[in-house]
Amino acid sequence: MSHSTVVTSAPKQNLWEGGRSPYNVSYGKIMMWFFLLSDALTFGALLISYGTTRFFSAVWPDPNEVFKAFPFMHGQNLPLLFVSLMTFILIMSSVTMVLAVHAGHYNDKKSVAKWLLWTIIGGICFLACQAWEWTHLHSEIGGLWGTFTDPATPTSSFSHFFNQDLAGHVLSTQPGMAMQSTHNFFNYFFTITGFHGGHVTSGVVFNILILVNTVNGVYERRGHYEMVEKIGLYWHFVDLVWVFVFTCFYLL
Amino acid sequence: MSAHHNTDSIQHLYEGDQSKLYSGVMAHHSDINSTESKTQIKKIWKVFWILLVITVVEVGMGMFFSHSIPKAVINFLFLALTILKAGYIVAIFMHLGDEFKGFIASVLIPLVLFVWFIIAFLADGFFWLRMNNSSPAREQIENVAHSTKK
Repeated sequence: MSHSTVVTSAPKQNLWEGGRSPYNVSYGKIMMWFFLLSDALTFGALLISYGTTRFFSAVWPDPNEVFKAFPFMHGQNLPLLFVSLMTFILIMSSVTMVLAVHAGHYNDKKSVAKWLLWTIIGGICFLACQAWEWTHLHSEIGGLWGTFTDPATPTSSFSHFFNQDLAGHVLSTQPGMAMQSTHNFFNYFFTITGFHGGHVTSGVVFNILILVNTVNGVYERRGHYEMVEKIGLYWHFVDLVWVFVFTCFYLL
Repeated sequence: MSAHHNTDSIQHLYEGDQSKLYSGVMAHHSDINSTESKTQIKKIWKVFWILLVITVVEVGMGMFFSHSIPKAVINFLFLALTILKAGYIVAIFMHLGDEFKGFIASVLIPLVLFVWFIIAFLADGFFWLRMNNSSPAREQIENVAHSTKK
């Protein structure tokens, strides 16, 4: 309990009468929470439009067929393995971040710096994985956004993204529909994972900034590590979004 | 105003940097090797293992059962596990569980909007699904696709 040592000499009825924060949270932390709330709505909008598109499509690419490659394991069928590794890296970096925040509560400069460094390494590993995945898909489909737009595209260039038992019939009767689904699938995939990757990138930059400040003793002089806490909230949010992206793109 | 209920030495901080008050003085702990600190760290690692196990279960379900269990059942399970994971991250990692009830409510209540978003997206999807199956443009696309398929 991080607030167990809170000064609560004030009687309850005075909570909203000024002089102290009723929620016992500083301005900066509240604003970080509300920023994350607005960001959650943005990601929600993207995922829901993805959901709508998917819902009205008679067929949809099967994640087990699209995401089955792994670096250095060329030609092997390893569905979802690589994305599981990415998820593991991100969860792990979330743990190191929360340990940095914890060390900050105890004004332990050395531990904060150590765990922040691990978090940065985790973030960079995640981004490297994403870069590999994008490059792989780029070479497989011949582009990022805007692929599969020509109705004359041969069915063979996208049919392998589908589960044959479920989509085989539609692939032969309505190949145009299947092609359009493939187009939508990849557009949404690059938009949403790109937006998430942008968040990870800025998170890594913020983490580097607060690591520099920590090492230089800025927070030690200030007497608290709240900045680590605030950036920590942002970092966990990025992990949180990934949980939903993972479910929507790779599982459902 | 009855704001002068705190008469100790931290009073001057109310006028200045609030983060100093709420993160510096009030939330300050001294020993990272204390039992309290160690319990907290244990809790963090416990949540890590819970998240890891849930993810492994999800991936296992996705790999082996995604076509043998009815789609509605497996999707419900996926969503339930996702929300469970999100709950652990927000409550433990983001420490929302340690905040005041009023603050928890201010953060979570706006998310009720998602209920409407989901209803709207299902309704919209139904409409477009019907349009997609009956529009003349669709037939035209299929004709082009068919003529090039051979």
